[in-house]
Amino acid sequence: MRYETVIGLEVHVELATDSKIFCSCSAHSYGAEPNDHVCPACCGMPGMLPVVNRRVVDFGMKAGMMLNCHINRVTTFDKKSYYYPDLPAAYQTTQWFAPVAVNGTVEIDTPAGKKAIRIKQIHMEEDAGKLVHDLREDTTHVDFNRTSVPLIEIVSQPDLSSAAEVEAYLERLKTLLRYARVAECEMAHGTMRCDVNLSIRPEGSTEYGVRTEMKNMNSIEAIKRAIEYETARHIDAVENGTEVLVQETRRWDDVKGKSYAMRTKETAGDYRYFPDPNVMPVVIDDEWYDSIADSLPELPEVKFERYTSEMGLGEYDAEQLTRSIALCECFESAVEVCGSAKDAANWVISEIMSILNTKGMTYDMLTVNGETLGRLIVLVRDGKVGRANARRILADMFDDATIDPEAYAEKMGFIVSNDTGLIESVVKAVVAADPASVAAYKGGREKALMALFGKCMKELRGNCDPQVLRVVLLAEIEKA
Amino acid sequence: MNRETLRRLEMLNQLSLTEEQKDDVIRFFDAREADFEVIDKFFDTADVERMVHVMPVMTVVREDKVIKKFEREALQQNAPETDEGYWCVPRVLE
Ligand SMILES: [Zn+2]
Repeated sequence: MRYETVIGLEVHVELATDSKIFCSCSAHSYGAEPNDHVCPACCGMPGMLPVVNRRVVDFGMKAGMMLNCHINRVTTFDKKSYYYPDLPAAYQTTQWFAPVAVNGTVEIDTPAGKKAIRIKQIHMEEDAGKLVHDLREDTTHVDFNRTSVPLIEIVSQPDLSSAAEVEAYLERLKTLLRYARVAECEMAHGTMRCDVNLSIRPEGSTEYGVRTEMKNMNSIEAIKRAIEYETARHIDAVENGTEVLVQETRRWDDVKGKSYAMRTKETAGDYRYFPDPNVMPVVIDDEWYDSIADSLPELPEVKFERYTSEMGLGEYDAEQLTRSIALCECFESAVEVCGSAKDAANWVISEIMSILNTKGMTYDMLTVNGETLGRLIVLVRDGKVGRANARRILADMFDDATIDPEAYAEKMGFIVSNDTGLIESVVKAVVAADPASVAAYKGGREKALMALFGKCMKELRGNCDPQVLRVVLLAEIEKA
Repeated sequence: MNRETLRRLEMLNQLSLTEEQKDDVIRFFDAREADFEVIDKFFDTADVERMVHVMPVMTVVREDKVIKKFEREALQQNAPETDEGYWCVPRVLE
Protein backbone atom coordinates (compact mmCIF):
# COMPACT_ATOMS: atom_id res chain seq x y z
CA MET A 1 0.00 0.00 0.00
CA ARG A 2 1.14 3.52 -0.67
CA TYR A 3 1.06 6.04 2.16
CA GLU A 4 1.05 9.79 2.33
CA THR A 5 2.64 11.80 5.10
CA VAL A 6 0.46 14.38 6.83
CA ILE A 7 2.38 17.19 8.47
CA GLY A 8 1.31 20.24 10.44
CA LEU A 9 3.80 22.74 11.81
CA GLU A 10 3.86 24.95 14.87
CA VAL A 11 6.45 27.61 14.23
CA HIS A 12 7.67 29.84 17.05
CA VAL A 13 9.15 33.12 15.92
CA GLU A 14 10.87 35.62 18.20
CA LEU A 15 9.57 39.10 17.43
CA ALA A 16 12.11 41.85 16.73
CA THR A 17 11.03 44.21 19.51
CA ASP A 18 13.38 46.07 21.84
CA SER A 19 11.61 45.16 25.08
CA LYS A 20 9.74 42.13 26.43
CA ILE A 21 6.04 41.46 25.88
CA PHE A 22 4.71 42.35 29.36
CA CYS A 23 7.52 44.36 30.99
CA SER A 24 10.20 46.89 30.01
CA CYS A 25 13.21 44.59 30.28
CA SER A 26 15.42 44.27 27.21
CA ALA A 27 14.39 41.42 24.92
CA HIS A 28 17.96 40.93 23.73
CA SER A 29 20.21 39.00 26.05
CA TYR A 30 22.88 37.73 23.70
CA GLY A 31 26.14 37.90 25.66
CA ALA A 32 24.42 39.24 28.80
CA GLU A 33 25.09 37.94 32.32
CA PRO A 34 22.42 35.50 33.59
CA ASN A 35 19.33 37.24 35.01
CA ASP A 36 20.59 40.66 33.99
CA HIS A 37 17.47 41.53 31.97
CA VAL A 38 14.95 40.59 34.60
CA CYS A 39 12.41 42.47 36.74
CA PRO A 40 9.81 41.39 39.32
CA ALA A 41 7.24 40.90 36.52
CA CYS A 42 9.23 38.56 34.28
CA CYS A 43 10.73 36.52 37.12
CA GLY A 44 7.23 35.80 38.40
CA MET A 45 7.13 37.71 41.69
CA PRO A 46 3.65 37.56 43.22
CA GLY A 47 1.41 40.55 42.59
CA MET A 48 3.19 41.92 39.55
CA LEU A 49 0.94 43.02 36.70
CA PRO A 50 1.75 42.63 33.01
CA VAL A 51 1.52 45.66 30.67
CA VAL A 52 1.24 44.79 26.98
CA ASN A 53 3.94 46.05 24.59
CA ARG A 54 2.12 47.81 21.74
CA ARG A 55 4.66 46.74 19.14
CA VAL A 56 4.04 43.07 19.92
CA VAL A 57 0.42 43.55 18.88
CA ASP A 58 1.59 45.57 15.83
CA PHE A 59 3.83 42.68 14.79
CA GLY A 60 1.22 40.03 15.58
CA MET A 61 -1.25 41.84 13.33
CA LYS A 62 1.35 42.43 10.63
CA ALA A 63 2.33 38.76 10.59
CA GLY A 64 -1.35 37.87 10.38
CA MET A 65 -1.93 40.17 7.44
CA MET A 66 1.17 38.89 5.62
CA LEU A 67 -0.28 35.37 5.97
CA ASN A 68 -3.73 36.42 4.72
CA CYS A 69 -5.36 35.88 8.11
CA HIS A 70 -8.48 37.38 9.61
CA ILE A 71 -7.46 39.71 12.44
CA ASN A 72 -9.46 39.38 15.66
CA ARG A 73 -10.23 42.99 16.55
CA VAL A 74 -10.73 41.99 20.18
CA THR A 75 -7.89 39.73 21.13
CA THR A 76 -7.28 38.33 24.60
CA PHE A 77 -4.58 36.67 26.65
CA ASP A 78 -4.97 33.43 28.57
CA LYS A 79 -3.02 31.49 31.15
CA LYS A 80 -1.60 28.10 30.22
CA SER A 81 -0.71 26.14 33.34
CA TYR A 82 2.58 24.36 33.21
CA TYR A 83 4.84 23.44 36.09
CA TYR A 84 8.44 23.69 35.08
CA PRO A 85 11.17 25.91 36.53
CA ASP A 86 11.72 27.78 33.27
CA LEU A 87 8.27 29.36 33.79
CA PRO A 88 8.55 31.22 37.10
CA ALA A 89 4.81 31.95 37.43
CA ALA A 90 3.93 28.27 36.76
CA TYR A 91 1.90 29.40 33.76
CA GLN A 92 2.64 30.89 30.38
CA THR A 93 0.68 33.92 29.27
CA THR A 94 -0.43 33.08 25.75
CA GLN A 95 -3.57 33.30 23.59
CA TRP A 96 -6.09 30.51 23.41
CA PHE A 97 -9.68 31.78 23.12
CA ALA A 98 -9.17 34.78 20.81
CA PRO A 99 -5.72 34.75 19.15
CA VAL A 100 -4.68 37.85 17.21
CA ALA A 101 -4.97 36.20 13.77
CA VAL A 102 -6.90 33.20 12.42
CA ASN A 103 -7.74 31.41 9.15
CA GLY A 104 -4.93 32.39 6.80
CA THR A 105 -3.06 30.86 3.89
CA VAL A 106 0.53 30.70 2.71
CA GLU A 107 1.18 29.78 -0.87
CA ILE A 108 4.20 27.62 -1.64
CA ASP A 109 5.79 26.37 -4.86
CA THR A 110 5.85 22.61 -5.34
CA PRO A 111 6.91 20.53 -8.34
CA ALA A 112 3.19 20.05 -9.02
CA GLY A 113 2.54 23.81 -8.97
CA LYS A 114 1.28 26.26 -6.36
CA LYS A 115 -0.16 24.86 -3.15
CA ALA A 116 -2.00 26.78 -0.45
CA ILE A 117 -1.14 25.83 3.13
CA ARG A 118 -3.90 26.86 5.52
CA ILE A 119 -2.96 28.72 8.68
CA LYS A 120 -5.14 27.85 11.66
CA GLN A 121 -4.02 30.71 13.85
CA ILE A 122 -1.23 33.01 14.98
CA HIS A 123 -1.03 33.75 18.67
CA MET A 124 1.18 36.03 20.73
CA GLU A 125 2.89 34.67 23.81
CA GLU A 126 5.88 34.91 26.10
CA ASP A 127 8.99 32.76 25.82
CA ALA A 128 10.24 30.66 28.74
CA GLY A 129 13.57 31.01 30.55
CA LYS A 130 16.67 28.88 30.10
CA LEU A 131 17.69 26.00 32.32
CA VAL A 132 21.32 24.99 32.72
CA HIS A 133 21.89 21.46 33.94
CA ASP A 134 25.63 21.04 33.72
CA LEU A 135 27.04 23.66 36.12
CA ARG A 136 26.55 21.50 39.20
CA GLU A 137 25.33 17.96 39.76
CA ASP A 138 22.82 18.64 42.52
CA THR A 139 20.84 21.57 41.11
CA THR A 140 19.45 23.10 37.97
CA HIS A 141 20.44 26.72 37.31
CA VAL A 142 17.75 29.08 36.04
CA ASP A 143 18.23 32.15 33.84
CA PHE A 144 15.12 34.31 33.29
CA ASN A 145 16.65 36.65 30.66
CA ARG A 146 14.55 34.98 27.97
CA THR A 147 11.29 34.75 29.95
CA SER A 148 8.68 37.08 28.48
CA VAL A 149 10.60 37.70 25.27
CA PRO A 150 7.76 38.09 22.75
CA LEU A 151 6.96 35.23 20.39
CA ILE A 152 4.31 34.49 17.87
CA GLU A 153 3.34 30.90 17.24
CA ILE A 154 2.14 30.18 13.73
CA VAL A 155 -0.02 27.06 13.65
CA SER A 156 -0.65 25.48 10.26
CA GLN A 157 -3.33 22.99 9.34
CA PRO A 158 -2.00 19.51 8.49
CA ASP A 159 -1.66 20.45 4.82
CA LEU A 160 2.01 19.62 4.23
CA SER A 161 2.90 16.26 2.80
CA SER A 162 6.68 16.07 2.39
CA ALA A 163 10.00 17.32 3.71
CA ALA A 164 10.37 19.43 0.55
CA GLU A 165 7.01 21.13 1.16
CA VAL A 166 7.95 21.82 4.76
CA GLU A 167 11.17 23.42 3.59
CA ALA A 168 9.34 25.57 1.02
CA TYR A 169 6.78 26.59 3.66
CA LEU A 170 9.44 27.59 6.21
CA GLU A 171 11.37 29.55 3.56
CA ARG A 172 8.20 31.38 2.56
CA LEU A 173 7.36 32.22 6.19
CA LYS A 174 10.88 33.56 6.65
CA THR A 175 10.65 35.75 3.56
CA LEU A 176 7.23 37.15 4.47
CA LEU A 177 8.09 37.90 8.09
CA ARG A 178 11.49 39.37 7.21
CA TYR A 179 9.92 41.58 4.53
CA ALA A 180 7.46 42.86 7.12
CA ARG A 181 10.44 43.41 9.47
CA VAL A 182 8.62 41.52 12.16
CA ALA A 183 11.31 38.98 12.95
CA GLU A 184 14.76 37.77 12.04
CA CYS A 185 13.63 34.13 11.63
CA GLU A 186 17.10 32.63 11.87
CA MET A 187 16.92 29.03 13.04
CA ALA A 188 20.65 29.01 13.85
CA HIS A 189 20.08 31.94 16.25
CA GLY A 190 17.01 30.36 17.84
CA THR A 191 14.75 33.16 16.56
CA MET A 192 12.73 30.57 14.65
CA ARG A 193 11.87 27.16 16.17
CA CYS A 194 9.65 24.50 14.86
CA ASP A 195 7.44 21.69 16.22
CA VAL A 196 6.58 19.05 13.64
CA ASN A 197 3.31 17.09 13.94
CA LEU A 198 3.31 14.03 11.74
CA SER A 199 1.09 11.09 10.88
CA ILE A 200 0.61 8.82 7.88
CA ARG A 201 -2.43 7.48 6.10
CA PRO A 202 -3.12 5.35 3.04
CA GLU A 203 -3.00 7.49 -0.08
CA GLY A 204 -6.42 8.95 -0.84
CA SER A 205 -7.75 8.38 2.68
CA THR A 206 -9.26 11.34 4.49
CA GLU A 207 -8.84 10.03 8.02
CA TYR A 208 -5.83 10.89 10.14
CA GLY A 209 -3.47 8.34 11.64
CA VAL A 210 -1.83 8.47 15.07
CA ARG A 211 0.04 11.74 15.37
CA THR A 212 3.43 12.27 16.96
CA GLU A 213 5.09 15.58 17.64
CA MET A 214 8.76 16.49 17.50
CA LYS A 215 9.52 19.63 19.46
CA ASN A 216 12.03 22.44 19.10
CA MET A 217 13.61 21.53 15.80
CA ASN A 218 16.18 24.16 14.93
CA SER A 219 17.52 23.48 11.46
CA ILE A 220 15.81 22.80 8.18
CA GLU A 221 18.19 19.93 7.45
CA ALA A 222 17.37 18.27 10.79
CA ILE A 223 13.66 18.74 10.14
CA LYS A 224 13.98 17.03 6.76
CA ARG A 225 15.88 14.09 8.23
CA ALA A 226 13.40 13.80 11.12
CA ILE A 227 10.42 13.76 8.74
CA GLU A 228 11.97 11.01 6.67
CA TYR A 229 12.79 8.94 9.76
CA GLU A 230 9.36 9.39 11.36
CA THR A 231 7.51 8.59 8.14
CA ALA A 232 9.45 5.33 7.80
CA ARG A 233 8.87 4.49 11.49
CA HIS A 234 5.12 5.07 11.19
CA ILE A 235 4.82 3.01 7.99
CA ASP A 236 6.83 0.21 9.56
CA ALA A 237 4.56 0.20 12.60
CA VAL A 238 1.40 0.11 10.52
CA GLU A 239 2.61 -2.37 7.89
CA ASN A 240 4.74 -4.71 9.96
CA GLY A 241 3.46 -4.15 13.47
CA THR A 242 6.97 -3.32 14.71
CA GLU A 243 5.49 -1.14 17.45
CA VAL A 244 2.22 0.39 18.57
CA LEU A 245 2.02 4.08 17.67
CA VAL A 246 0.82 6.35 20.45
CA GLN A 247 0.12 10.07 20.45
CA GLU A 248 3.24 11.44 22.09
CA THR A 249 5.98 14.04 22.04
CA ARG A 250 9.30 12.81 20.70
CA ARG A 251 12.79 14.22 20.76
CA TRP A 252 14.83 14.17 17.56
CA ASP A 253 18.51 13.28 18.00
CA ASP A 254 20.09 14.61 14.84
CA VAL A 255 23.50 13.06 15.53
CA LYS A 256 22.10 9.54 15.90
CA GLY A 257 19.41 10.20 13.26
CA LYS A 258 16.67 8.80 15.51
CA SER A 259 13.67 10.03 17.45
CA TYR A 260 12.90 9.05 21.05
CA ALA A 261 9.70 9.13 23.09
CA MET A 262 9.77 12.00 25.58
CA ARG A 263 6.35 12.04 27.19
CA THR A 264 2.81 11.29 26.24
CA LYS A 265 1.33 14.31 24.58
CA GLU A 266 -0.58 16.73 26.76
CA THR A 267 -4.08 17.54 25.60
CA ALA A 268 -5.42 21.08 25.75
CA GLY A 269 -7.32 20.15 28.90
CA ASP A 270 -4.10 19.38 30.71
CA TYR A 271 -3.01 22.99 30.35
CA ARG A 272 -6.24 24.26 31.93
CA TYR A 273 -6.32 27.39 29.80
CA PHE A 274 -8.30 30.20 31.33
CA PRO A 275 -8.64 33.92 30.58
CA ASP A 276 -5.85 35.88 32.24
CA PRO A 277 -7.63 38.23 34.66
CA ASN A 278 -4.53 40.45 34.79
CA VAL A 279 -4.52 41.45 31.12
CA MET A 280 -7.57 43.25 29.82
CA PRO A 281 -8.69 42.54 26.25
CA VAL A 282 -6.70 44.26 23.50
CA VAL A 283 -9.11 46.16 21.30
CA ILE A 284 -7.82 47.01 17.84
CA ASP A 285 -9.71 50.05 16.56
CA ASP A 286 -9.91 51.08 12.89
CA GLU A 287 -7.11 53.60 13.18
CA TRP A 288 -4.73 51.04 14.63
CA TYR A 289 -5.77 48.36 12.14
CA ASP A 290 -5.41 50.70 9.14
CA SER A 291 -2.01 51.98 10.22
CA ILE A 292 -0.70 48.41 10.17
CA ALA A 293 -2.47 47.50 6.92
CA ASP A 294 -0.94 50.60 5.28
CA SER A 295 2.56 49.65 6.42
CA LEU A 296 2.64 46.25 4.73
CA PRO A 297 5.52 45.84 2.26
CA GLU A 298 5.21 44.99 -1.39
CA LEU A 299 5.85 41.25 -1.76
CA PRO A 300 9.17 40.10 -3.23
CA GLU A 301 7.60 38.59 -6.36
CA VAL A 302 5.73 41.85 -7.03
CA LYS A 303 8.98 43.81 -6.66
CA PHE A 304 10.76 41.35 -8.97
CA GLU A 305 8.10 41.86 -11.61
CA ARG A 306 8.26 45.66 -11.28
CA TYR A 307 12.08 45.73 -11.34
CA THR A 308 12.30 43.62 -14.48
CA SER A 309 9.36 44.96 -16.48
CA GLU A 310 9.02 48.60 -15.41
CA MET A 311 12.57 49.44 -14.39
CA GLY A 312 14.37 47.38 -17.02
CA LEU A 313 16.63 45.36 -14.74
CA GLY A 314 17.86 41.92 -15.75
CA GLU A 315 16.44 38.90 -13.90
CA TYR A 316 19.71 38.22 -12.11
CA ASP A 317 19.87 41.76 -10.71
CA ALA A 318 16.21 41.72 -9.67
CA GLU A 319 16.72 38.38 -7.98
CA GLN A 320 19.73 39.63 -6.03
CA LEU A 321 17.97 42.80 -4.85
CA THR A 322 14.76 41.05 -3.77
CA ARG A 323 16.70 38.76 -1.45
CA SER A 324 16.18 41.35 1.27
CA ILE A 325 13.72 44.15 1.95
CA ALA A 326 16.66 46.30 3.15
CA LEU A 327 18.42 45.97 -0.22
CA CYS A 328 15.15 46.78 -2.04
CA GLU A 329 14.52 49.87 0.05
CA CYS A 330 18.08 51.11 -0.40
CA PHE A 331 17.90 50.49 -4.15
CA GLU A 332 14.50 52.13 -4.57
CA SER A 333 15.39 55.34 -2.76
CA ALA A 334 18.74 55.52 -4.56
CA VAL A 335 16.88 55.33 -7.90
CA GLU A 336 14.60 58.15 -6.82
CA VAL A 337 17.65 60.39 -6.32
CA CYS A 338 19.93 59.32 -9.17
CA GLY A 339 17.26 58.40 -11.71
CA SER A 340 19.08 55.31 -12.98
CA ALA A 341 17.90 51.85 -11.95
CA LYS A 342 20.89 50.31 -13.68
CA ASP A 343 23.46 52.41 -11.77
CA ALA A 344 21.68 51.95 -8.45
CA ALA A 345 21.36 48.17 -8.92
CA ASN A 346 25.02 48.02 -9.86
CA TRP A 347 26.13 49.84 -6.71
CA VAL A 348 23.87 47.83 -4.40
CA ILE A 349 24.80 44.46 -5.89
CA SER A 350 28.50 44.80 -6.59
CA GLU A 351 29.49 47.18 -3.80
CA ILE A 352 27.01 47.09 -0.91
CA MET A 353 26.30 43.35 -0.96
CA SER A 354 29.98 42.51 -1.07
CA ILE A 355 30.77 44.86 1.83
CA LEU A 356 27.97 43.20 3.86
CA ASN A 357 29.38 39.79 3.00
CA THR A 358 32.91 40.79 4.03
CA LYS A 359 31.63 42.20 7.29
CA GLY A 360 29.66 39.01 7.96
CA MET A 361 26.41 41.01 8.15
CA THR A 362 23.04 39.81 6.85
CA TYR A 363 21.44 41.86 4.08
CA ASP A 364 18.67 42.88 6.47
CA MET A 365 21.27 44.56 8.69
CA LEU A 366 22.05 47.20 6.03
CA THR A 367 21.95 50.72 7.49
CA VAL A 368 23.24 52.67 4.49
CA ASN A 369 20.61 55.16 3.44
CA GLY A 370 19.44 54.77 -0.15
CA GLU A 371 18.98 58.48 -0.63
CA THR A 372 22.62 59.09 0.38
CA LEU A 373 23.74 56.31 -1.95
CA GLY A 374 21.79 58.03 -4.75
CA ARG A 375 23.66 61.29 -4.15
CA LEU A 376 26.98 59.44 -4.20
CA ILE A 377 26.05 57.83 -7.53
CA VAL A 378 25.27 61.28 -8.94
CA LEU A 379 28.68 62.58 -7.83
CA VAL A 380 30.40 59.75 -9.71
CA ARG A 381 28.25 60.15 -12.80
CA ASP A 382 28.89 63.90 -12.93
CA GLY A 383 32.61 63.18 -12.78
CA LYS A 384 32.99 64.97 -9.44
CA VAL A 385 34.32 61.95 -7.56
CA GLY A 386 36.31 59.04 -8.99
CA ARG A 387 34.82 55.56 -8.66
CA ALA A 388 37.62 54.27 -6.41
CA ASN A 389 37.22 57.19 -4.03
CA ALA A 390 33.43 56.81 -4.09
CA ARG A 391 33.93 53.22 -2.92
CA ARG A 392 35.93 54.51 0.04
CA ILE A 393 33.15 56.97 0.90
CA LEU A 394 30.58 54.15 0.72
CA ALA A 395 32.67 51.97 3.04
CA ASP A 396 32.76 54.82 5.57
CA MET A 397 29.00 55.25 5.23
CA PHE A 398 28.63 51.79 6.77
CA ASP A 399 30.21 53.10 9.97
CA ASP A 400 28.55 56.50 9.97
CA ALA A 401 25.04 56.71 8.51
CA THR A 402 25.02 60.52 8.82
CA ILE A 403 27.75 61.06 6.20
CA ASP A 404 26.83 63.57 3.51
CA PRO A 405 28.69 62.33 0.42
CA GLU A 406 29.46 65.71 -1.11
CA ALA A 407 30.70 67.34 2.09
CA TYR A 408 32.59 64.21 3.01
CA ALA A 409 34.28 64.01 -0.41
CA GLU A 410 35.31 67.63 0.03
CA LYS A 411 36.69 66.97 3.49
CA MET A 412 38.63 63.90 2.36
CA GLY A 413 40.04 65.72 -0.71
CA PHE A 414 38.13 63.42 -3.10
CA ILE A 415 36.62 66.10 -5.35
CA VAL A 416 37.84 65.70 -8.91
CA SER A 417 39.92 68.67 -9.92
CA ASN A 418 38.91 70.75 -12.91
CA ASP A 419 42.16 72.58 -12.51
CA THR A 420 43.81 71.77 -15.85
CA GLY A 421 46.91 73.67 -14.74
CA LEU A 422 47.40 71.18 -11.89
CA ILE A 423 46.83 68.22 -14.21
CA GLU A 424 49.29 69.56 -16.77
CA SER A 425 52.00 70.16 -14.20
CA VAL A 426 51.59 66.66 -12.74
CA VAL A 427 51.67 65.09 -16.23
CA LYS A 428 54.77 67.10 -17.15
CA ALA A 429 56.60 65.95 -14.04
CA VAL A 430 55.62 62.27 -14.48
CA VAL A 431 56.59 62.21 -18.16
CA ALA A 432 59.90 63.95 -17.46
CA ALA A 433 60.73 61.52 -14.65
CA ASP A 434 60.09 58.35 -16.69
CA PRO A 435 61.65 58.65 -20.15
CA ALA A 436 61.92 54.84 -20.36
CA SER A 437 58.11 54.35 -20.29
CA VAL A 438 57.65 57.18 -22.78
CA ALA A 439 60.12 55.54 -25.17
CA ALA A 440 58.49 52.14 -24.69
CA TYR A 441 55.04 53.53 -25.51
CA LYS A 442 56.37 55.29 -28.57
CA GLY A 443 57.95 51.97 -29.52
CA GLY A 444 54.46 50.42 -29.58
CA ARG A 445 53.97 49.08 -26.02
CA GLU A 446 50.41 50.05 -24.98
CA LYS A 447 51.07 48.90 -21.42
CA ALA A 448 53.63 51.63 -20.89
CA LEU A 449 50.87 54.21 -21.35
CA MET A 450 48.85 52.59 -18.58
CA ALA A 451 51.87 52.78 -16.26
CA LEU A 452 52.24 56.50 -16.90
CA PHE A 453 48.49 57.03 -16.58
CA GLY A 454 48.48 55.21 -13.23
CA LYS A 455 51.35 57.30 -11.90
CA CYS A 456 49.55 60.53 -12.82
CA MET A 457 46.29 59.31 -11.23
CA LYS A 458 48.18 58.45 -8.07
CA GLU A 459 49.79 61.89 -7.92
CA LEU A 460 46.34 63.44 -8.39
CA ARG A 461 44.92 61.10 -5.68
CA GLY A 462 42.31 59.87 -8.10
CA ASN A 463 40.64 63.26 -8.31
CA CYS A 464 40.71 63.67 -12.03
CA ASP A 465 38.42 62.94 -14.92
CA PRO A 466 40.14 59.98 -16.63
CA GLN A 467 39.18 61.27 -20.12
CA VAL A 468 40.80 64.65 -19.48
CA LEU A 469 43.92 63.04 -18.05
CA ARG A 470 44.27 60.75 -21.04
CA VAL A 471 44.12 63.65 -23.52
CA VAL A 472 46.64 65.77 -21.57
CA LEU A 473 48.98 62.79 -21.12
CA LEU A 474 48.95 61.84 -24.81
CA ALA A 475 49.66 65.45 -25.76
CA GLU A 476 52.61 65.60 -23.36
CA ILE A 477 54.05 62.32 -24.68
CA GLU A 478 53.80 63.73 -28.23
CA LYS A 479 55.94 66.67 -27.15
CA ALA A 480 58.52 64.60 -25.29
CA MET B 1 -17.69 14.22 37.53
CA ASN B 2 -16.29 10.89 38.57
CA ARG B 3 -13.41 9.68 40.72
CA GLU B 4 -11.14 9.13 37.71
CA THR B 5 -11.57 12.69 36.37
CA LEU B 6 -11.05 14.07 39.84
CA ARG B 7 -7.85 12.07 40.25
CA ARG B 8 -6.54 13.63 37.06
CA LEU B 9 -7.49 17.14 38.20
CA GLU B 10 -5.81 16.53 41.54
CA MET B 11 -2.64 15.54 39.73
CA LEU B 12 -2.70 18.53 37.36
CA ASN B 13 -3.28 20.97 40.19
CA GLN B 14 -0.78 19.23 42.45
CA LEU B 15 -3.39 18.75 45.16
CA SER B 16 -4.12 15.87 47.42
CA LEU B 17 -7.65 15.73 48.81
CA THR B 18 -9.12 13.67 51.64
CA GLU B 19 -11.95 11.25 50.82
CA GLU B 20 -14.41 13.64 52.41
CA GLN B 21 -13.14 16.58 50.33
CA LYS B 22 -13.38 14.46 47.20
CA ASP B 23 -17.05 13.77 47.87
CA ASP B 24 -17.65 17.49 48.39
CA VAL B 25 -15.92 18.42 45.14
CA ILE B 26 -17.82 15.81 43.16
CA ARG B 27 -21.14 17.01 44.60
CA PHE B 28 -20.20 20.62 43.77
CA PHE B 29 -19.25 19.87 40.14
CA ASP B 30 -22.35 17.73 39.56
CA ALA B 31 -24.54 20.60 40.77
CA ARG B 32 -22.77 23.12 38.45
CA GLU B 33 -23.10 20.77 35.53
CA ALA B 34 -26.82 20.54 36.22
CA ASP B 35 -26.97 24.36 36.19
CA PHE B 36 -25.41 24.42 32.74
CA GLU B 37 -27.87 21.86 31.49
CA VAL B 38 -30.67 24.16 32.55
CA ILE B 39 -29.09 27.12 30.73
CA ASP B 40 -28.57 24.98 27.65
CA LYS B 41 -32.19 23.90 27.66
CA PHE B 42 -33.78 27.33 27.96
CA PHE B 43 -31.41 29.68 26.15
CA ASP B 44 -30.03 29.51 22.65
CA THR B 45 -26.51 30.94 22.92
CA ALA B 46 -25.36 30.10 19.41
CA ASP B 47 -25.38 33.72 18.21
CA VAL B 48 -24.31 35.33 21.45
CA GLU B 49 -20.91 36.93 21.20
CA ARG B 50 -18.36 35.58 23.64
CA MET B 51 -17.87 37.68 26.73
CA VAL B 52 -14.14 38.35 26.64
CA HIS B 53 -13.94 39.90 30.05
CA VAL B 54 -16.22 40.53 33.02
CA MET B 55 -15.51 44.26 32.85
CA PRO B 56 -16.21 46.29 29.69
CA VAL B 57 -12.66 47.62 29.67
CA MET B 58 -9.71 47.26 27.37
CA THR B 59 -6.06 47.13 28.11
CA VAL B 60 -3.67 50.04 27.93
CA VAL B 61 -0.57 49.33 25.90
CA ARG B 62 2.93 50.69 26.45
CA GLU B 63 5.55 51.87 23.98
CA ASP B 64 8.29 49.39 23.10
CA LYS B 65 10.99 50.99 25.24
CA VAL B 66 13.64 49.33 27.40
CA ILE B 67 13.85 50.56 30.96
CA LYS B 68 16.47 48.99 33.17
CA LYS B 69 15.53 49.49 36.78
CA PHE B 70 16.15 46.31 38.70
CA GLU B 71 19.37 44.97 40.15
CA ARG B 72 19.76 41.22 40.08
CA GLU B 73 21.00 41.15 43.68
CA ALA B 74 17.83 42.87 44.89
CA LEU B 75 15.61 40.42 42.98
CA GLN B 76 17.46 37.43 44.39
CA GLN B 77 17.42 38.55 48.03
CA ASN B 78 14.72 36.04 48.98
CA ALA B 79 16.02 33.17 46.86
CA PRO B 80 16.86 30.06 48.90
CA GLU B 81 19.92 29.56 46.74
CA THR B 82 21.73 31.39 43.94
CA ASP B 83 24.96 30.66 42.12
CA GLU B 84 26.86 33.00 39.81
CA GLY B 85 23.76 35.02 39.06
CA TYR B 86 21.46 32.01 38.54
CA TRP B 87 18.53 30.96 40.66
CA CYS B 88 19.08 27.38 41.82
CA VAL B 89 16.23 24.87 41.91
CA PRO B 90 16.06 21.14 42.63
CA ARG B 91 17.56 19.35 39.66
CA VAL B 92 15.15 18.70 36.79
CA LEU B 93 16.11 16.84 33.66
CA GLU B 94 13.64 15.44 31.22
ZN1 LIG C 1 11.01 42.10 33.11
